[in-house]
Amino acid sequence: MKSNPKKRVDAAPKTIISITGNDPNMRMDAWWWLVAAVVVVTFLLVVFQPDPYQRILIYVLDGIGLTIGVTVISFILTLIAGMIGGLGRLSKNRIISGAASLYVELIRGIPLLVQLMWWYFAFPAIIRDTGKALNIGFMANYLPDGTIMAIIGLVICYAAYMSEIYRAGIQSIPKGQMEAARSLGMTYVQAMRYVILPQAIRVILPPVGNEFVALLKDSSLVSAVALADLSRRGREFASNQALPIQTWMMVALLYLILTLVSARIVGWIERKTKFER
Amino acid sequence: MDAIIQIENVHKYFRGGIHALRGVSLEVGKGEVVVIVGPSGSGKSTLLRCINRLEQYEEGKIVVDGIPLDSAANINAVRQEVGMVFQSFNLFSHMRVIDNLTLAQRVVRKRPLEEAKAVGMDLLAKVGIPDKADAFPAQLSGGQQQRVAIARALAMNPKIMLFDEPTSALDPEMINEVLEVMLDLAREGMTMVVVSHEMGFSRAAATRVIFMDEGQIVEQGSATQIFGAPTQERTKAFLSKVLHH
Ligand SMILES: Nc1ncnc2c1ncn2[C@@H]1O[C@H](COP(=O)(O)OP(=O)(O)OP(=O)(O)O)[C@@H](O)[C@H]1O
Ligand SMILES: [Mg+2]
Repeated sequence: MKSNPKKRVDAAPKTIISITGNDPNMRMDAWWWLVAAVVVVTFLLVVFQPDPYQRILIYVLDGIGLTIGVTVISFILTLIAGMIGGLGRLSKNRIISGAASLYVELIRGIPLLVQLMWWYFAFPAIIRDTGKALNIGFMANYLPDGTIMAIIGLVICYAAYMSEIYRAGIQSIPKGQMEAARSLGMTYVQAMRYVILPQAIRVILPPVGNEFVALLKDSSLVSAVALADLSRRGREFASNQALPIQTWMMVALLYLILTLVSARIVGWIERKTKFER
Repeated sequence: MDAIIQIENVHKYFRGGIHALRGVSLEVGKGEVVVIVGPSGSGKSTLLRCINRLEQYEEGKIVVDGIPLDSAANINAVRQEVGMVFQSFNLFSHMRVIDNLTLAQRVVRKRPLEEAKAVGMDLLAKVGIPDKADAFPAQLSGGQQQRVAIARALAMNPKIMLFDEPTSALDPEMINEVLEVMLDLAREGMTMVVVSHEMGFSRAAATRVIFMDEGQIVEQGSATQIFGAPTQERTKAFLSKVLHH
């Protein structure tokens, strides 16, 4: 038995290490302190300055729900679509891999905000025009559901980035793993399912976690297509009440709580699924 | 002699115009232990990998246990009968040893978990590491990993075992523990095709030694013949280099 299996290089960013040292448990505590600090500040503001902070919080509460809902649903769909895209880019079939590459390149070249506009304004207009031209009533009167269009836009954009993450993760698994699986008689799909993907998922967990946090923040762009998310509710309150400083501070704190907590959860999952190579 | 592997005039080209196999023909009988030797780049691995179609070939014909390697279904059927052991072990690194041994039994052979585990434990005992069932591959020595890899292939009850330099990634003190397992297999009558320069193994187990060079079989015969009295210049030149080591 090998005396001391090589210690895994930690994937955490350098800044974190330099702030709190190398013990992973210590590091976790330090970052939970930051989460706690932000929560406490928010709590103090709401309790001791209920006017305006409690009013703001109550006003934007449904926006928080919408932000979380849109983010979680979009993220789950992104995980699935990204896997399909990543496997597509790795396909030996030129048409499939070409189509997947084209999708990734196109989507990554267009700002998310423009994509959201496209799904909310341009896409329904195309359907209406087609409906009118072909005299199909329900298409001619098509009105998009804002939430669905926002989720479609987020998923199609984020899945492009996610498929690159999947592709890199799958490619990082040594070729011998696939060959060993195939030599035992497993089909390509079985080898992917039982051998390659379980290893690739552990590799891609840190960047996938980052994507979740990024998606959470980018979901604020859906406010531009009339969705009443956290940032949209904040903007409404700020302009109704003429309280820009307090409102945007509260909104920023609420986003911070969401992102910091999700980053901690991601880190916790990473540690849970770590294994010796 | 009952040929369980028939290789007929196989040509293999790699991208970039490398002609890795130049018309190789070979018949391996049931229970034979064929050892392939030859210089680096001579096509030994490529030939071995063609037998279970990890590598495609452009020309020629390979029939394994009566099944021609010509359709996806046949290729999978052949792979179930042909175990392969790699130089770099290739154990599934996210799985414990016992799960490495049971995975293919379950998803390919459709054996129930309990049966697959029993088969796995028997084989671990056979390769001499019954106490490592719950270890992860990274916690094992190279020799132990390779023995697990052999057990993993045997768990599928293959009719043929292919070995591609199974000991060349190992520290010298671990080579013998792997060769011992291979010798046992040979004694039990397993059909084996082995790429290896371990002459002790060849002398003890090989029914035939094949010398390959530049994608061709140059010479074949018993271990005594090939190592003791080679007839071809290329064989002599190669052996003089290897024997010096
Ligand atoms: N995947 C590949 N792509 C391109 N060329 C390859 C590939 N694999 C092998 N070759 C080439 O094919 C030839 C035969 O290679 P092969 O690996 O079969 O040799 P070998 O006899 O096993 O050598 P070694 O003793 O170094 O393992 C070599 O010229 C090699 O460079
Ligand atoms: Mg080789």
